[in-house]
Amino acid sequence: MNEELRWNFDELVDMAVTGQVSQPAMRRGGYVHWPDGVGVILPGMHGITYNARVGDRAFGWAGDHVEPGVSIANPDEQADYALHYLSCIGNEAEVVTGLARGARGVVTGEHARLLVDFPPEVLEEMTIGDTVQVRTRGRGLRLLSHPALEFKQTSPFLARALALETQGNKVTCPVAMELPPRIMGSGAELNAEFVDQDLMSGDRALMAELGIDQMRLGDLIGIRNVDHRFGRSYRDGWVAICLCIHGDSVMTGHGPGILTLITGPADLLDFHIEPETNIAHSLGIRGSA
Amino acid sequence: MTQQNSIATNEVDLIAVSVAGVVAHPAFPGLPAEPYRLANDGTPFLLPTYGGIVYNVSTGDRAFGWAADCIHPGVSIYQPDDNQNRGLNVFACVGNRARVVTGGAAGTTGVVTGKSGRFSEQVIVHIAPEARTRMAVGDQVLIRAEGVGLSLTHHPGVTLKGISPGLLAALPVREEEGHVAFGVTAQIPAHLVGAGLGLTSEGGSLHMQSTDRELLAELRLDQLRLGDLVALEDTDSRYNHGYLRGARAIGVVASTDGPRAGYGPGIAILMTAPAGQLGSFESPEANLVQLLDLED
Repeated sequence: MNEELRWNFDELVDMAVTGQVSQPAMRRGGYVHWPDGVGVILPGMHGITYNARVGDRAFGWAGDHVEPGVSIANPDEQADYALHYLSCIGNEAEVVTGLARGARGVVTGEHARLLVDFPPEVLEEMTIGDTVQVRTRGRGLRLLSHPALEFKQTSPFLARALALETQGNKVTCPVAMELPPRIMGSGAELNAEFVDQDLMSGDRALMAELGIDQMRLGDLIGIRNVDHRFGRSYRDGWVAICLCIHGDSVMTGHGPGILTLITGPADLLDFHIEPETNIAHSLGIRGSA
Repeated sequence: MTQQNSIATNEVDLIAVSVAGVVAHPAFPGLPAEPYRLANDGTPFLLPTYGGIVYNVSTGDRAFGWAADCIHPGVSIYQPDDNQNRGLNVFACVGNRARVVTGGAAGTTGVVTGKSGRFSEQVIVHIAPEARTRMAVGDQVLIRAEGVGLSLTHHPGVTLKGISPGLLAALPVREEEGHVAFGVTAQIPAHLVGAGLGLTSEGGSLHMQSTDRELLAELRLDQLRLGDLVALEDTDSRYNHGYLRGARAIGVVASTDGPRAGYGPGIAILMTAPAGQLGSFESPEANLVQLLDLED
């Protein structure tokens, strides 16, 4: 751990919130549309996803907005907002009802539901409606040594695992890849504390040219010239460090989900490319940290 | 009416149908929610926003500099039932004739000048300022909806969205084999396209982002007026709005700027093409006030 980084971990409140494993749901009509209008019906969101896990590819699934692992929600709207706003990436989750009771997992994303990873053998024991409790801790996280940086939905566990490096006043974060701001799409209308902003994958040739189609669920992502403090918008000279939380989409303006973790001015926050940077490894979800 | 172009369309096949809405009341989230929204720098603000009868902002006025968050010029209407509101928002086309049918301004005619999207979903109608003073929230406005299904006979690669045949015929146009271009006041680069991306392109709006004020000033985008025709570069709006190199969307500035991140003036998209079939050229006077001869 970098000793030049001083965190406010001992100020953070540790609090339980719960959600239930969601049942997949669809809109009447069911179709989602490719950019040329062709309609398809695809799985992806909600439920227990047995075969797409953090560390797996984000592109190439016969699915739309594939949510890896277990997607949980709370049926009470305001309680659900607490589940969304208080949970942080890397928080520990525990199954508290049903056959998998006592099993431990890790929060890996926040989308329309909260996304929690459990080992495959645990998924076999789980069912729709099981309650999962999250030990939420991370809201209010600050880097006392670098107070200009803003952290969002970053647990102390993830904060340590990011492997931040310091160069004087500047903090730099290893990321798997960089995205250009002009392809950041759906989610521009939301605040940056809530869910994610999809990268727009509709220009398939560009995805291949830039290697974006090699993205994996759980990859750390860097974006230059965007300000993610209060919403997500283009601003010259700002940087955001993000996380890929869900899979690609066929729909125009959509694609893999990119969730904000850190934002700051470019003279104080930077990133460097290390292609294997993925929370599946750094949080010890799949193999060693 | 301004000079008409001669671009060929299927106008004779279109259906004209009634849609109606009532003048919307401005609204806030229920207490105990704070009344504030956050500006892109995190500052809480409390400003007038969409809905209602707006007496002193009209199509043709500046889009920037108001003490407001994405204000709709003139009169905003909606239907309380969601499905019926979708019908209103999708079928009403920019340029359609509107008529006030109840209240103190009953009989007054107006023109649809825009729409708004997620979180507001209203249709924006120009009514002459004097007539606005005789209107009340709740008055019904009827629109002769005509334009959904409209297409360009010789340009099947261009998709029209929510534009009336009358407005289409009034647009400055340059036509070549396999390519058509329309006059616009400004071109907006893809990295300044914001809220509305990924959302439906049937109705609603797509906002340009105004957080980076220096860049806007450099591109002179802060000079935009309500009602200006604008082109959005590398934007595919056929089915939702999104990024695609070579695509283009053309729309009309329908609402003012606002302080929120991801937002700026709202643009009602009128047409799009995915692969170079649609172009634009500079036409500083391309504004609904002139094109539709809007009443002062």
